[in-house]
Amino acid sequence: MTTAAENPYSRPIPLLAIVLVALAVHGPLLLMELPSSSFDANFHMFFASHYAHHWFNPWNEKWFAGFSQTTYPPLTHQWIALISNLVGLKMAYMLVQLIAILLLPVGVYRFAKIWVDDRAASYAALGVVFLGSLTFLVYQAGQLATVASAALYLNALPYLYQWMTESSGRSLVKGLAVTLSAAAAHHVTLIFGVVFFAGPVLWTAILDARDERVAASTSGVLLRAAVFGLLSIVGVAIVLLPYWLALIQHPIHQIPIPHDSRANFLLNSITAINYFVIPYGALIIALPFILVRGASCPRWRPLLYGFWLALIFGLGGTTPLPRWLLGRAYEVLTFERFTFWATLLAMPLVGILAIDLLDRFRAKAAVGLALAAVATIGGALFWLNANPFRPTATAKVEPVDAFLNRDGHDAYRYITLGFASELAKVSTYTDAGSVDGDYNSARLLPEMTNYGSAQLTNAKFYGTAGMSALRAMLEHANRYGLKFIFVHDPYYEPLLTFAGWRKIETFNNGDVTAWAKDDVPPAHRIASDAIPPAWQGLMWGILPIGVSFVAIFLSLFMRDTRRVPVGIPLRSETREHHIVA
Amino acid sequence: MKYAIAIILVAVTAGLMVVGLFVTAQAGGTIGIAKGSALHTAKASTPDQALNNLLADVQRRNWDRAFANVVSTGGITEPAFIQDWIGSNGSVRSFSSLEGFEVRPLHETNDEAQMRVHLHFSSPVGPIEDVRDFHLVREGDLWKAVWPKVEIPSVPAQVIPVTYLRWDLVTGSAGDEWGAKNVDSPHVRIISMNAVDSAQGSVVMGEVTNEDTVPAFVTVNATLVDGAGNAIDEESSFDKIAHVLLPKQVTPYRIDFPNLSLKNVKNVHMDVKATLVPASADPVIGVMNQKIETDSQGKSVLHGDLLNQSGETVNIPHVIVSFYDNSGKVVWVSDGYVDRALLPQSTEAFAVEIPKSLAPSIHNFHVVVNQYSLNNS
Amino acid sequence: MARLLQFFSILSLGALFCGVCGAQDLHAPSNVTAGEDVALPTSGSGKATFYLAGPGISQKNDVTLGEEIRLSGQDLRYAGDYTAILCSDTCHTATFYVTAAKPASVIFLVHPSRVPVGQNDAVSGVAFPFDQYRNLITVPENVNFQLSAKDASLWPRSIRTQNGVAWFRANSGKSAGPVQAVASLDDLSAKRAVQQVASDPCNLRITGQRTPNGILVQTEPVHDCAGNVVPDGTIVTFTATGPNGKGTVDAPVKQGIARAKIESPGTSVISVASGVVMGNEIRLGAQP
Repeated sequence: MTTAAENPYSRPIPLLAIVLVALAVHGPLLLMELPSSSFDANFHMFFASHYAHHWFNPWNEKWFAGFSQTTYPPLTHQWIALISNLVGLKMAYMLVQLIAILLLPVGVYRFAKIWVDDRAASYAALGVVFLGSLTFLVYQAGQLATVASAALYLNALPYLYQWMTESSGRSLVKGLAVTLSAAAAHHVTLIFGVVFFAGPVLWTAILDARDERVAASTSGVLLRAAVFGLLSIVGVAIVLLPYWLALIQHPIHQIPIPHDSRANFLLNSITAINYFVIPYGALIIALPFILVRGASCPRWRPLLYGFWLALIFGLGGTTPLPRWLLGRAYEVLTFERFTFWATLLAMPLVGILAIDLLDRFRAKAAVGLALAAVATIGGALFWLNANPFRPTATAKVEPVDAFLNRDGHDAYRYITLGFASELAKVSTYTDAGSVDGDYNSARLLPEMTNYGSAQLTNAKFYGTAGMSALRAMLEHANRYGLKFIFVHDPYYEPLLTFAGWRKIETFNNGDVTAWAKDDVPPAHRIASDAIPPAWQGLMWGILPIGVSFVAIFLSLFMRDTRRVPVGIPLRSETREHHIVA
Repeated sequence: MKYAIAIILVAVTAGLMVVGLFVTAQAGGTIGIAKGSALHTAKASTPDQALNNLLADVQRRNWDRAFANVVSTGGITEPAFIQDWIGSNGSVRSFSSLEGFEVRPLHETNDEAQMRVHLHFSSPVGPIEDVRDFHLVREGDLWKAVWPKVEIPSVPAQVIPVTYLRWDLVTGSAGDEWGAKNVDSPHVRIISMNAVDSAQGSVVMGEVTNEDTVPAFVTVNATLVDGAGNAIDEESSFDKIAHVLLPKQVTPYRIDFPNLSLKNVKNVHMDVKATLVPASADPVIGVMNQKIETDSQGKSVLHGDLLNQSGETVNIPHVIVSFYDNSGKVVWVSDGYVDRALLPQSTEAFAVEIPKSLAPSIHNFHVVVNQYSLNNS
Repeated sequence: MARLLQFFSILSLGALFCGVCGAQDLHAPSNVTAGEDVALPTSGSGKATFYLAGPGISQKNDVTLGEEIRLSGQDLRYAGDYTAILCSDTCHTATFYVTAAKPASVIFLVHPSRVPVGQNDAVSGVAFPFDQYRNLITVPENVNFQLSAKDASLWPRSIRTQNGVAWFRANSGKSAGPVQAVASLDDLSAKRAVQQVASDPCNLRITGQRTPNGILVQTEPVHDCAGNVVPDGTIVTFTATGPNGKGTVDAPVKQGIARAKIESPGTSVISVASGVVMGNEIRLGAQP
């Protein structure tokens, strides 16, 4: 056995050091507000802005002529809203995103320790800081909630394992609190996490009980898993009750909206780069090792199967499996998040690869791994500008907001055309309402749900479906008080001209034009059965943020019990000498 | 065991990927990515395959490969071939994307084939359907489409005298005295109205004229009212009207009420709104050689040629036609966008379809040309 | 609304105490003109509180009994009923009416802004005299209305206001062009313009000839029945019927004449119309 003196890489990296590395890598990028031009950042800030002004009223009149924000779990948005009172909306978003990123290596470290020792877990945690998929989600997709929820969920699962194998009441309480926080951040992560993350954990606990690596019996593990699952279901049902009620009242019946993550990557090289090469980065080289090593030890196989399933789902339409398994949900989901989860599930095995290489090649391996990590995150950052599908935040929205906020223009509704994700930015800073919006699941207006297209502002990218939705909405302009249209793409001008809109103003030297229709009456409130009652607003404003406070309190003031399960093989079953005592 | 599991996972992954290639690719809707079969047949051994390959390449804008599947009889060049598909001069075609197509054989021998293709384009003014016949020949083992030389319209250099006539609107400042800036809205009048049931629902149509001496911006709304006096639905003429009407100009209008029958309708409330707008009297577009004929698919179609009599390019001409019966009543209003730009002093053909059931009763028609010009937008 | 409540509160307060007033007195003037300073004599001695409520004003001041209460013109610039209340041990109320000052402006509305020639009672005008504080002057005043075209007076008339309003109706003239409508009161006047426009075209006639490029067809100068040239921009529709089908051109009148080019190589019959008015037909032989 090598000693620390002989091999400087033989000790685990302290978790604090890993968190500081994450802070050093992502802190400056977030301070530079790099994610502000990502696809979803403006959407999150828009939601947060509403909470900042109407904490207990989730009914938001600014999109879709009125929609309920109970259709999206609120935790990250409410945290942004809280912090925005101190540092402003945009910086609050960056801070919440930073917290999610810092929680992620902690979660991966704790999650990995279910299968591997401290040393491998620490390398897994360090590796996650440089993940291409993380960079992709944070800086290109802007999926704050997915990252935050995954980080919380990874932190919750070790408590589940401890509760199942050690009957630790503290673990049960803390696990539940963090699980509910994860659900309050992003429901989809929690639902699929049961299969991809909790499934391998449960399976592993059963194996450990069967092989007597833990004190619990198999039936005990199953019983406690059922208790945890039941309490989680009840908890999530209560914490997100307004969400479930909204979903039951208005199930998502809209025509499926195309998304590139559902494409066949073999037929489109750009899509393959965007959704496979960039998120995986250097992990692609490690794939054979992950498969072979993951299969080599029965205890790691649940993790391997979870990784493989997430990998297949992350390939979108490249294979038919997601469509077969998900049915109609396939058309509603986007699949880049599965790639993110696959990389997270791979990290414990990558940690083993790292220590294998370090043990064998030492400094050379360290340099190689460092280069691979930097190349992965660097490639993903480079792709932000090289990607032909990158968000093009070129429309300056300030004059649009100024126009809407003067001379009573906010008495009418508006839409933007060609503004991409800047639509949410326009909406955030004006009181005027729009019939468009950047959140597909909340749409109830038939003009939008009857066609297979997403935002009206991006209508042309959805071809006939998109333009038909736009036409349908323009035909009913008088009904919705839709008077003003802001155009950042001349593609739409012929339709507006023929449909009776006239250009009335230009902004930014003609980069954006304002169009109006003279006979449109002022907007009136559109009757909806989706308006949440006051008690739901109260619940929504208290419970999700409340469970996060409870989780923070418990994490700070309730000490963990034993942290590492005993008798866990670090290497494959054929190399018994590496078992941790 | 460890290798067995790894090999199984790799094999299953590869197998699923192969199956995925044969399942419909789910990229539909995003422009530039083909629908239909995901696989491109490398060797087109049938006319059907050859045409599918060609159109799939056109759809993906893979011009080199598309042109390689073409036999040029008239010496067509690749740029001309591309322009034939993507249009020019800011026309509807230049904004359009080929979304889908259906190929149907008309006639086939060992060496030649005639195929008819329904082309579906998405465009800024709505979906555009086109029917095109292709002639294919066999060259060795491969089938290729014969592409005739495309006449790209060009306008000779010339000087066209223009006497601009336009109306500007001056609005007084906010501080003006009360009553000092009262300018009346233009007088417009609905001169005919007819409501009928059609296959898609109810249709309210007719004609409206500007009786004033200034241009009017006109919108026509209709409300269907039931026996109890309650409004059933309200719709507007949207793009089936020429919104800007010059003095004494007449335009057809059509208001569609999809999925709604006139059975329950007791009354139709018409509402025409007119506002003063700046406008131009140019360009003047003539409509020549108007004739109702039956096309190759057996449909009644009004054909004609648009003649741009001005010196500016009309990027998107829009034809709106009112059809009258013997008694002069408007029995139908049809419209269509011309997918090629109308260059100065040049002509462009148009065709507007007439419902089969109405064709025998049509006695006369009136064509109005609406237009969009990039320079005047 | 708040002011109204305040006004009624003060009024109620005054009424409450009125039964016991008598220790002091307040004398209201019989006639007050808007914008003029006014002095309200009081009797008694000691300190008192003075309330004034009226259109657009409510105020409270401490005053000394026995002295005059001076109200500035700015406080009384709106015409209408005012209530003055003086409270010491008891309250005393007096009311007075402020009338509008002398005319300072005339608001003049004329309808329509465009009118076809030769229409009966087609033009109407309404004048409202106001003082400098925008009070409507309801005492009868003589307003002189005058319509004139090209410096020629068409229609002078003097009309006395009733309840602050004077109005007229008039026929439109025979000639197209701008008509100036003036309402004057003393040395004040307001001018408005009415555009008299040509009526529908009359005797629409066309001529045509073949050219190498087709048929060039044009109208004779287009007039209405009164001989006015129709405005430029008026659409004239030329229709040619020939063996190739129908050809139509909607051409605008420019400098009194509408022109169009029609492609119809065979023998063609060309007709013309503008709005609902039809013109003559011409027949041209086939292209040689």
